[in-house]
Amino acid sequence: MEVRYTDVDYLVFSDAASLMASGKSPYQRSTYRYSPLIAFLLIPNSIIHHSWGKFIFSASDLLVGLLIHTILKLRGVPQSISTYCAMVWLVNPFTFTIGTRGNCEPVVCAMVLWIIVCLMNGNLLQAAVWYGLVVHLRIYPIIYALPIILVLDPLYFQSGKKPAVIDWSSSRIKSAFKSSSTKGGDPHHTWVSLTRLVTVRRLMFGLVSGAVFFCCTGFFFYLYGWEFLHEALLYHLTRTDPRHNFSIIFYHIYLQYEHEFSALEKLISFLPQIIVQLVLIFRFAQDLPFCFFVQTLAFVAFNKVITAQYFVWFFCLLPLILPWCSMKLKWKGLACNFLWMGAQTHWLIWGYLLEFKGKHVFIQLWLASLFFLAVNTFVLISIIRHHTYSPVFKRLERVGSKKTS
Amino acid sequence: MELRHCRIHISPVLGIRLIILAGIGSCVFVSSFSSEEALHNSNVEPNAAHCPETYISKSYFKKHAYLLDPDFQDFMAHELHTGSCEALQDKLNLVPRLSILHQHLIGEGSHRRLSSSIRFKSLPESLPEVPAHFCEAIIIERLPSGVFADPFELQHLLQRGVFADAAVFGDINLELPSFRSNRSIVEIHLDIGPNILSGHKNEVEINIELPLHARYPPLGKRGFSAVQFGLPDLFLRCSIEGKSHNESCLFMSTHGGAESQVVAAVWEVPCGIKEHEGVVSVITFITAIVSALLIVLTSIHYSDITDCNHLKQS
Repeated sequence: MEVRYTDVDYLVFSDAASLMASGKSPYQRSTYRYSPLIAFLLIPNSIIHHSWGKFIFSASDLLVGLLIHTILKLRGVPQSISTYCAMVWLVNPFTFTIGTRGNCEPVVCAMVLWIIVCLMNGNLLQAAVWYGLVVHLRIYPIIYALPIILVLDPLYFQSGKKPAVIDWSSSRIKSAFKSSSTKGGDPHHTWVSLTRLVTVRRLMFGLVSGAVFFCCTGFFFYLYGWEFLHEALLYHLTRTDPRHNFSIIFYHIYLQYEHEFSALEKLISFLPQIIVQLVLIFRFAQDLPFCFFVQTLAFVAFNKVITAQYFVWFFCLLPLILPWCSMKLKWKGLACNFLWMGAQTHWLIWGYLLEFKGKHVFIQLWLASLFFLAVNTFVLISIIRHHTYSPVFKRLERVGSKKTS
Repeated sequence: MELRHCRIHISPVLGIRLIILAGIGSCVFVSSFSSEEALHNSNVEPNAAHCPETYISKSYFKKHAYLLDPDFQDFMAHELHTGSCEALQDKLNLVPRLSILHQHLIGEGSHRRLSSSIRFKSLPESLPEVPAHFCEAIIIERLPSGVFADPFELQHLLQRGVFADAAVFGDINLELPSFRSNRSIVEIHLDIGPNILSGHKNEVEINIELPLHARYPPLGKRGFSAVQFGLPDLFLRCSIEGKSHNESCLFMSTHGGAESQVVAAVWEVPCGIKEHEGVVSVITFITAIVSALLIVLTSIHYSDITDCNHLKQS
């Protein structure tokens, strides 16, 4: 049996890019459901070499490793630990095959990490531009909007001053959650932050990122019409795929597919996702990389459709939280690792029997997806329980104000 | 510990530049874009250089939105242009025959190959007076509901020279289940060879394997849905070189005779069982809610967990 190494998505990108190169709409390529920017990036596939896109994605993969190292160094993590954490991404066989197989996720991951770097360096305008762009490219980063807004607190970001990043060593010594001067995870503090939500920087971030998003969307709508809007945007928002995937809901969707879902059913199916996201945001927003990680892991686990490429979304954030994780690799860390991979493999076995052997194993496949959600939940809870909460920024002294402890 | 600010020097407006560059590029490339070409459910022809008359099925879909067997048979009987070959006009009663020998599915699961064996039988006596000509066999597979061919996969086969030409017409949406999709036609062209009508070969046997994929079928009771194939429609198109222009004749093979003995392929596709509906829905939602609650409770009690961890460490 011929098993292709190249991802089907790469063929889709390449076909869309060659359509674009010949002056046609990339959406003439069926199943091309991305921004035209991706196709534009791969136009050299048909001019220079058909592996051009793979080089871009692989280069992005390396850039992600560099950005992981950069973020950790910015937070004062020692060189050796930063390097080991970057290696968690770089030598992960799952992540480097993603890029070399021709999947565009490393580009998105690099952009998300770059946004974190910009925020840590106080470059809010740049962060806003890249954030608007990354949401245009891949909608899922919209879940980071609220934590970013929350972290743009006037206590951390003041005119003419660079935000002060809390050092890694000091965050590990203290019980950061309770004695942190910011009390970032304290619900009371979060409520106070909410009441002071409307600030100049937050407004600016929202306006700039929104403008970039709507400009990109509006421009490509002008070029490609409703087809672009439907394929690149609305499809992802309304997608209900009855075909088998890691999500627990696939069999339910298949069994119900012959009749339309009511608005109530859609709301109920979305409820666990929204509740989890909101709770995680309000508990961990100030520890931004950790908040991003747990949000992304939960988002993927509760999504209506889960494919293997979505795992990359939180793989790129995992190295950013490891220096604050008290879970030892031996044996809890390895146990979580093998449990997660085992649950995935278990699902894949049943998926293989269904798709490639034609066995009737829908129930077994659905149960495997339930087990996979249970494992994801266990891993997420374990990570939360072993995490040392560490806000990224510390309160800046106001000019003329007294020093606060 | 001294904080070191590591900087990567990337232009502050690189993001904006990328957008502008892509926009300029899109404007240049879109100058000849036609909205008529950007539709789903459109006919996909990998080889766009051919004239419209190349594909028989395309003529059908110009007048019909969906593939229905009675409509297509009516189309073949009354609307198909057989062309005119004066050189062969007197010999039309000695039409060469195409017949299907067998049809079966190769492989397992949702991705299989439809294998068809077709025999071309030339005339008992040769026609030396026939001018130089070139013939191709045209095989039209009217795919049943629940099965589709990937036009891009066919394109790759074309590039590898497996077929002379191939195209998919009708519903080419690869993702919809069968109860939300319409049928499609695959038209394959195979070169038979030059001067076959005046040659000495009596029979030519052609084997084709068409890669097909199963859609999710409607729910059933027994867990499998049978997808019944029909026999393909076979045509022979010969292009005869003329003094002023090339003539083209289309010969149609009618089903019957030995073909009535051929058993069409049947594809058993796993399907969902309707009785599972209630239990699956309830357990799915309970699982989702329980998982969400556990995460929420852990997050809410995070401070208690952190204190315990720090107590253990001290």
